[in-house]
Amino acid sequence: MTPDYMEQGMLLAIVLFCLGFVGLMIRRNVIFMLLSIEIMLNAAGLAFIVSGARWANADGQVMFIFILAMTAAEVSVGLALALKIFQKYKTLDSDAINRMKG
Amino acid sequence: MSSEDFRSLLPLLILAAASILLLVVIAVRRDHRLVYYLTVAALAAALAASLIPVEYSPRTASPLLVIDGFSLFYSALLNAAGLIVVVLSYTYLRPLREQMEEYYVLILLAVLGSVILAASRHFASFFLGLELLSVSLYTLVGYMVRSRDRSMEAGLKYLILAAAAAAFLLFGMALVFYEAGQLGFSGIGKYLAEAEALSLLIITGFGLIIIGIGFKLALAPFHMWAADVYEGAPAPVSALVATVSKGGVVAVLLRFYSEVDGYQFPVLALLFSIFAAASMLGGNLLALLQDNVKRILGYSSIAHLGYLIVAFLSGGAMAAGAATFYLVAYFITILVAFGVVAHLSSGEQEAEKLEDYRSLFWRRPGTAVVFTAALLSLAGIPLTAGFIGKFYIAAAGAQEGLWVLLFILAASSVIGLYYYLRIIMAMFASAKDPAQRIAPLFSGVGLLLVILTVALVWLGVFPQAMLDMINEWVAG
Repeated sequence: MTPDYMEQGMLLAIVLFCLGFVGLMIRRNVIFMLLSIEIMLNAAGLAFIVSGARWANADGQVMFIFILAMTAAEVSVGLALALKIFQKYKTLDSDAINRMKG
Repeated sequence: MSSEDFRSLLPLLILAAASILLLVVIAVRRDHRLVYYLTVAALAAALAASLIPVEYSPRTASPLLVIDGFSLFYSALLNAAGLIVVVLSYTYLRPLREQMEEYYVLILLAVLGSVILAASRHFASFFLGLELLSVSLYTLVGYMVRSRDRSMEAGLKYLILAAAAAAFLLFGMALVFYEAGQLGFSGIGKYLAEAEALSLLIITGFGLIIIGIGFKLALAPFHMWAADVYEGAPAPVSALVATVSKGGVVAVLLRFYSEVDGYQFPVLALLFSIFAAASMLGGNLLALLQDNVKRILGYSSIAHLGYLIVAFLSGGAMAAGAATFYLVAYFITILVAFGVVAHLSSGEQEAEKLEDYRSLFWRRPGTAVVFTAALLSLAGIPLTAGFIGKFYIAAAGAQEGLWVLLFILAASSVIGLYYYLRIIMAMFASAKDPAQRIAPLFSGVGLLLVILTVALVWLGVFPQAMLDMINEWVAG
């Protein structure tokens, strides 16, 4: 890739990361919050791949595979908890679940 | 890899192999007691293995991991803390209606993740260790799905915030990698030393990494999860979050910062100073408003990590030593405190309200005295480990002239004294009904708490042996 594409790739990753973060902040549904986190993590993965390409270094792709594996583990725990919470409260609205305050 | 490499990696190998073995054992037969004994044996073996291979260190076992005095000391500390948490968990879990065998596998994995963090010298092992630790902790915090609703809520809150923090950390690593082309700490350090001017991207990258670490350490302003997680998690898991998870992250922070020489950037020092000041004041002030003992301990942990960051920021020769000693003192103290909470909890009802502790001294004098010692150590009263820890932080800070932070440390410690004394006052309040007195039962957990309390006072009176060990292993 030429340097131009590098900067565009990083720009895309930054935009994706910010989108994910904004989504995490404004969505109240647990599933959408998990989805937003996924977008943030994948943005980091994209940034690693672009950086790896810039330095012609496979480390970036290795990190991406680590991120992929870790995200799967994280989401499986998250969805299991979300399922249990839905059974209990009959809602996935994070404000309704929030009982501990102070 | 040579056989010496394997030998030096023994603590990690034992923990990893034991967690797989436990899974197989559970698949064959569910037996709480058997799994408990195997876990204790594994952690004790890993603890012993951390103390033995000093002769081989320092050894770069792979591009990802380095086994030296520093990582072995932290490995021993983390394994010991994990061992104590497991012993506390056994009696705590017995009366519950959960399937508790997997709980021990998760504790082993959390300790393993933390030990990897302490040994890591590369972004890949940093990330893998952190995630191994975090994913085990999400599950452990939310483990009481059947008996406690708050456990699930705390688990989900912790998962969302910690996963977001991991995303920040990873994106920061990617930005640093984009500029430096290196993932190893020493490679990045070399790049930084040679670079003439640093780009905005790499500074942003460091900032994001620090935010991610701040989340894991529950430094203000990233502390909002701490009190809820401490309250909702089962008491032994709260102890695990306070010790093993923080210890590993502090270790990797110390190593990363010294290898890349982060002290050369005033921007990052300012960032950490703000975190430290906000944590010390915020943690202590918010704790004043609570009447739940687990939440008080949660907010106090925010303040304590703030104190620790002051030691870390001093950056002089004493920084690593002072921070490590403080961590040892804090580990012992908070394990006693959560040990008492777990010890007093019966079945699904946790002893967490301040009311549960009213006139405890007249019902269970031994437990009340042990808890009082832990609270005095948290407050930093002389003759306890907490005091010596704070003293060394002050000495390290004074050497580097961090007067503003030291002033905040002193002032917020005074505020902190108030809420610790509130619990102590409640415990010694005279009982309305003296007939309630329960004859103290001799138990393994009781004995463990007494031993830890003796260690607490011993460190407070004769700290020299521990200081020599830290100087030799960590700073040397």
